[in-house]
Amino acid sequence: MAKHDYDFSNLNPTATVLRKLDPIVIEKPRAPIHIHTYGGESPFFRGLTEGKLLATRCVNKKCKPAGKEGHVFLPPRVYCPDCLERTEWIDVTERARKTARIHTHITVAHPGAFNRVPIPCELISVEIEGVSTIIMSQLRGAKPEIGMPIEPVFETAHPTFTILDLAWVPRKA
Amino acid sequence: MIKFGPGNLAIPKQMRPVYLVAAGQSDFKKFYPEKKTEELAVEAFRMLALENNLKVDGIQELKEYIHTACYGHFADHFGDQLLGEALIHDRLGLDPMGNVGIKTGGATGGSTLWIASNLIASGYSDCALAMGWERMDEVDTWTGNHYIATAADKDYETELGHIYTGYYALMAQRYWKVFGKGSPAFRRTMSKIAVKNRRHAYSNPFAQTHGKITVEDVEKSPVVADPLRFYDACLMSVGVSAVLVCSEEVAYKLSDKPMRLFVTAGSHTLRTADRRNMDIPLLPHEEADPEIRKYYEKLKGPEVNERYPGFTGFLAARMAAYYAYNMCGIHDPCEDLDLVELHDAFTISDIQTYEDIGLRPYGRGPEYIESGDAYLTVPDDGSFSKKLAGKPGRLPSNLSGGLIGCMHAVGATGIMQVCELFWQLQNRWKYFHARKEMWERFGKTMPKDIENLQVPDAKRGLAISHAGVGSHVTCSILMRPDALPTK
Repeated sequence: MAKHDYDFSNLNPTATVLRKLDPIVIEKPRAPIHIHTYGGESPFFRGLTEGKLLATRCVNKKCKPAGKEGHVFLPPRVYCPDCLERTEWIDVTERARKTARIHTHITVAHPGAFNRVPIPCELISVEIEGVSTIIMSQLRGAKPEIGMPIEPVFETAHPTFTILDLAWVPRKA
Repeated sequence: MIKFGPGNLAIPKQMRPVYLVAAGQSDFKKFYPEKKTEELAVEAFRMLALENNLKVDGIQELKEYIHTACYGHFADHFGDQLLGEALIHDRLGLDPMGNVGIKTGGATGGSTLWIASNLIASGYSDCALAMGWERMDEVDTWTGNHYIATAADKDYETELGHIYTGYYALMAQRYWKVFGKGSPAFRRTMSKIAVKNRRHAYSNPFAQTHGKITVEDVEKSPVVADPLRFYDACLMSVGVSAVLVCSEEVAYKLSDKPMRLFVTAGSHTLRTADRRNMDIPLLPHEEADPEIRKYYEKLKGPEVNERYPGFTGFLAARMAAYYAYNMCGIHDPCEDLDLVELHDAFTISDIQTYEDIGLRPYGRGPEYIESGDAYLTVPDDGSFSKKLAGKPGRLPSNLSGGLIGCMHAVGATGIMQVCELFWQLQNRWKYFHARKEMWERFGKTMPKDIENLQVPDAKRGLAISHAGVGSHVTCSILMRPDALPTK
């Protein structure tokens, strides 16, 4: 487990940093650690570390889907947003390799604080045949274009256990 | 998500009419160390109570009417203060009356008004305060951008750049390619919006920015997330806005010129990823126009094959407009309204919104700018044809300067828009904007070339308040009581 590099529960009370006297403006330091769970969506993030792209699918025969592109969700959902029954996991890695394309794309020049993606970074939205949603991700090693065929790559060697473990590259013919 | 049934599309009703009687605000700044948020709230309330020609003997008599307060404040982590509502309520001296905090991202101001108007419409209260604020200056801009980006899905989106501009840029790219055909003309239209709104802010003493910019300035400004540049984006602000809403009886007791208020709300998924291809409700004038219906079928067909609403439209805004127009009898917004204040978080989202609320059909939003309709007076700076330049526009938009020129103090924004509409409808734009004293109050000098932005004989105005990449949208319509449309 990572160690805190500073003990924020024992700040020196005289360590106030005064920025301005009129009006009085002071600095209030903090660096809290959030303990965050992926809960029932954990298989998706575990899948990325194993080189698999997992989606979920509604299997309730009585469900009336709101959309027109079927009933497979990526990002995954533990419950179907239409009928609220539990979904089942499916592996869409092969399907993504064969059919994924760029729906839209951008280049980020100025990210916000705490960004870990190398800049400039190419962000893309990915459409996959038979998947009813369009997941956001990153493209590597090419200039993106709408409609470009792409395939997923995974950070299996040094996983971050975040969405950054998934990226895409142009599909090899 | 919903597959529409009759319950979902039912037209909202007010059990009794709702009126707006007074408005007040602080000025808006990027950094505001001179004053605490509580002070700014009192200043906005003082303006509301003392400068709206209310028929009461001062602040304390007005407070005797107030039954409930709705407070809009979005981002606790920015202000680093939970239950700020209670602090503000105390500073206004409104304890022990009931109050509630409301937060729906960028639409917080609009949602606050939605709740306040429903308190009146239902009969629960006869007089309610709706006030919104934000304090965004405790952290630097890039930490601020990260904080805002946590209003995307933190597991699936925020990690990708930590920048909201990026999430809008994805839509801009798609829109530009599908409807703008990749042409530089589309880039120019986006730039014109930034120029227009900054130009309006130049004449607004409340505004955060007072510099005029050109189309070239916009197009040379640094790229934040391609294709969106620095000047395509809204401001980050500190400030407070407030309005007072009342029943008919109290409205006329307090004011000779109250305005009728209608507020509705819609929503869509937080992640654009999840926006599935589905039917959308048509607005009254679209329903009545076979040409538009045919055109929409074509958009969905193999020729264009655009999956919408998705990356090029906001279903939440369409829902809010559908409810609002049907609720208050607006048929064609370009015909029936006199001015609009739209949520120009980014130039691209402004264009998308024109289509959602029916100023132009889907895919044709830029025409609202290029036709000159969006201006009070079409600029004579070479950016429009000689034929249009100098002519009055049909439905001026964002005369306040909007989020790009005036402010985006998130919880206040939707209320700021309605303050501006209210003063326009009361024909009091000049009092609040074009007097030396007002500029001096905020430590500014009134520009010699201030532009008169009062819309002549304005009867009806609309404001769109919008969150996320379209997760929550409210539509507020304000009307002179003698100018209600006949349904």
